[in-house]
Amino acid sequence: MAGTTPFAFQFAPAIAALPFVSFLIALAFGDRMPKGGAFAGILATAGSLLASLWVFVTVSGGSAYVQDIHTWTILDAGNALGDINLHFGLLLDPLSAMMLVIVSLIALLVHVFSLGYMNDEGETGLPRYYAGLGLFTFSMLSFVMADNLLMAFMFFELVGLCSFLLIGFWFREDGPPSAAKKAFLVTRFGDYFFLIGVVGIIATFGTSRFAVAGDAAAAAFPVEAAKVLGVTEGSATAVMPAGMDPQLWFTILGLLVLGGVVGKSAQFPLHTWLPDAMEGPTPVSALIHAATMVAAGVFLVARMYGFYLLSPTALGIIALVGGFTALFAATMGVVKREIKQVLAYSTISQYGYMMLALGAGGYVAATFHLMTHAFFKALLFLGAGSVIIAMHHNEDMWDMGGLKDKMPVTYWTFLFGSLALAGIVPFSGFWSKDEVLYEALIHGLGTAGTQGTLLLVAYAFGLLAVVFTGFYTFRMVFLTFHGEPRSDTARDPHGVRWNVKGPLVVLGALAATAGFVNMVPVDKLLGGAGIDFLHAWLDGPLEATSVHYYTDGSGSLLYEAAAIKGATPLGEIGTVLVSAAVSLALALFGSLLAYRLYAVPEPVEHTEKLGAAKDVLYNNYYQDEFQVFLAERVTMPLAKAADRFDQGVIDGAVNGVSSVSLFSGRRIKRVQTGLVTNYALLLTLGFLVLVIAMAVTGGWF
Amino acid sequence: MAVPTEYYLVLSAGLFCIGLAGILTRKNALMFLMSVELMLNAANINFVAFSLQWGNLTGQTFALFTMALAAAEVAVGIGIILVLYRNFGDVDVTDAAGMRW
Repeated sequence: MAGTTPFAFQFAPAIAALPFVSFLIALAFGDRMPKGGAFAGILATAGSLLASLWVFVTVSGGSAYVQDIHTWTILDAGNALGDINLHFGLLLDPLSAMMLVIVSLIALLVHVFSLGYMNDEGETGLPRYYAGLGLFTFSMLSFVMADNLLMAFMFFELVGLCSFLLIGFWFREDGPPSAAKKAFLVTRFGDYFFLIGVVGIIATFGTSRFAVAGDAAAAAFPVEAAKVLGVTEGSATAVMPAGMDPQLWFTILGLLVLGGVVGKSAQFPLHTWLPDAMEGPTPVSALIHAATMVAAGVFLVARMYGFYLLSPTALGIIALVGGFTALFAATMGVVKREIKQVLAYSTISQYGYMMLALGAGGYVAATFHLMTHAFFKALLFLGAGSVIIAMHHNEDMWDMGGLKDKMPVTYWTFLFGSLALAGIVPFSGFWSKDEVLYEALIHGLGTAGTQGTLLLVAYAFGLLAVVFTGFYTFRMVFLTFHGEPRSDTARDPHGVRWNVKGPLVVLGALAATAGFVNMVPVDKLLGGAGIDFLHAWLDGPLEATSVHYYTDGSGSLLYEAAAIKGATPLGEIGTVLVSAAVSLALALFGSLLAYRLYAVPEPVEHTEKLGAAKDVLYNNYYQDEFQVFLAERVTMPLAKAADRFDQGVIDGAVNGVSSVSLFSGRRIKRVQTGLVTNYALLLTLGFLVLVIAMAVTGGWF
Repeated sequence: MAVPTEYYLVLSAGLFCIGLAGILTRKNALMFLMSVELMLNAANINFVAFSLQWGNLTGQTFALFTMALAAAEVAVGIGIILVLYRNFGDVDVTDAAGMRW
C-alpha cells in the first residue's frame, strides 16, 4: 500500500484480541472476580467497540486495509498455480468495518444486560458464561475481519462451537444440552459442504483471499473467477477440473459454500436448530440472532459477493431459498405461545429477506437489512429478556398481559423494535425491508427468462411474509403488554434495573433511527439528493469489493455476469413509491389485524380457529419429525449397510488372512518334531530334490 | 598319474553315504558323532583328490583346516553327549525331543 498505514489498521487485531483476553481472564480468574468476570468482558467489548469505531472512521476517510498477519504454511500446488499461501489476514473495508461496529456494540450491550439477566438472578457458573461470551465475540470479530475463506471457515466453526457452549449453558436440565447438540449437528451438516467448497476454491484459484489491495501481486479468487469468465480483462490464474465448464464449476463451488451459509443463517431446510436454540440464556439468544452466529452466514455471502454474482444459478437459488424461508418461518411465528419462539421464527424470516436481497442483486439492501435487523432484533430479544425477568422466567405469552404500565421502558423500547420488525414507517426496518423488496421487484421485472420469474416468485413470497410479520409481531406485543394481566406474576412483575434498561434504551434509539442512513424512496423522490449514505459509504476504496463493481450500472458484475437487469415500469419514482406503499400497506394490514384480534382486555386464542392448519404450524410443518425420519429411516439403514460392509467385507478380508495364517501355521509347525534324525532326513531329501531339479533343468538326462 | 580322480570320488561318495546312513538310522549319539566324522572325512578326501588333480595345494590346506574343525566339533559333541547322558540317563538322541513346538 502506498503511504503509511493508518494507525487504526495496525491496531485492528486488538479488536478481536480484547474479547479473547476477557475469555482467558473469565476462564482463569472468573470465580475470584466480582460478578463472575463480567467486568472484564464489558471492558474488553467496550475497547473493541472504540477500536471498531476508529476503524470505521478511518475507512470512512477512504482507506482500506488488506494485510497478511501470519502465514502457517506455503504449499506447492504442483501445477500452474504455483505456491498456495495459507494464512491469517485482515481485510478492513466498509462492509467489515460496519459489521465490526455492530458486533462489538451488541456484544457490549449483551454483556451489560447479562448483569441484570444472569448476575441479578443468582445464576451459577457465571465465569463459564462470560468466558463463552468472550470467545463468541472474539470468533465473530475475527470472522468478520478475515481476508480469506479458510480463515473465515475456521472462525465460522469456532462461532458454531461457542453457540453450542452457550445454548447448552444450563446443561443440568433436559432441554438445553439437546438443543445445543442439535444446533451443533445441523450447522455442522451445512459446514461440511462449506469445507469442501473451501478446498475446491483453494484448489482452483490457489488462493482464498476475498480481495487484495490495489497494487498487490497476490490474487483474490472472486477477481480471478471474473477474469476466467471473461467478465473483466486480464489473464487469470486458475486451474479448472478437467473438462469442466468454468461457469458450471463456479456455480458448484458457490453452492457448496452456500451449504454453510444455509446452516448458520438458519435457512430452509437447515433452520430447525434455531427455534430450539431458545433454550439458551436470553442475552445469548440476542447475541446469536442479532450479531454473531446467524449473521455470519449472510455476511459470508456478502463478503464473497463478487463470486456469487458470476453464477446466475446460485443467485437464483439464494433468492428463492431466502424468499421461501421468509414466508415459511413467518407463518410458523403466527401460532407460537412463547415470546422467544415468536422472535426465533422472526429471525429466520428476516434472514430470509437478506438472502432474498442478495439473490436479487440487492447488495446494499441486504447489508442495510443486516444492520437494522441487528439493532431491532437485539432490542427485541433483550426486551423479551426483560419481560422474562419480570415474569420469573415464564415465557408463555398467554400468562402475560398488561405489562405496559408496570414496565414502561421495556414497553416503549420493545414497541419501537416491533414497529421496526413489522416494517412500519419511519422505523429502521421499514427502510431496509422496503429496499429489499424493491430490489427484488425491479430486478425480477427487468430480468429475462427463468431468472426473472424466479426473482418475482421470491418477491411474492417476501411480500406475503410482510403480512405475517406484521401480524405475529403485534400479536406478541398485544399479548405481552396490553389487556388485563392473565396470571399472578403478570399482576405483580419483578422489577428490572438500570443494567437491563440501559441497553434497551440505546438499542431502541438505534432501531428507531438507523433506517435514516439509507432512505432510498426519499432519495428517489428528491431526485437523487444523495441521502442514501450507506450506499455511498459501502462503495468503498477497494475496487473488487465496491458497490459499483458489484451492482451499479452497466459495467458491473450484476449486469455483465449475472445478467440481472432492473426495470421500473412506472418510472423510477413511481415504482419505488408503489413498492414502498404496497409493503407498508401489507405490514399495516397485518398489524391492524393483530390489533383487532388481540388488543382487547381478554384476548382469546384465535389461532385455534385455524384447526388442523394451526397444528401443522405449531409443529413447524413437522420439519423436526421429518428430519428425525430422515435420520432414522434413511441415514440409519445406510449407516447399518455401510457398517455391515465394513465389518463383513473389509474386516472379513483382514480377519480371513489372519485365520488362514493361523490355521496353516498350526498345521505346518508339526514338521518340527524335535528329533535330530528327522531334520537330517529333511536336509538330505531337500538336497536330493535340488540335485534332481538341477539335473532335469541342466539336461543331464 | 597312478590312480584316476574318479576312483577317489567314488570312495568319497561311498564314505559319505555310509556316514549319512548312520545319521539317519542310528539312535546312539556316539554313533551319530562317528557318522558325522565319516562324512567330514569324505569331504576331506575330495579336497585332497582335487588338489592332486590340479596340482594346487589349497585343497590340502583346506583338508588340514577341516581336521582341526572336526577335532573342535568332537570336543563340543562329546560335551553335548555327556550332558545328554546326565539328563536322560542314556545317549539315545530320540529321547531329547523337547525342543519343538
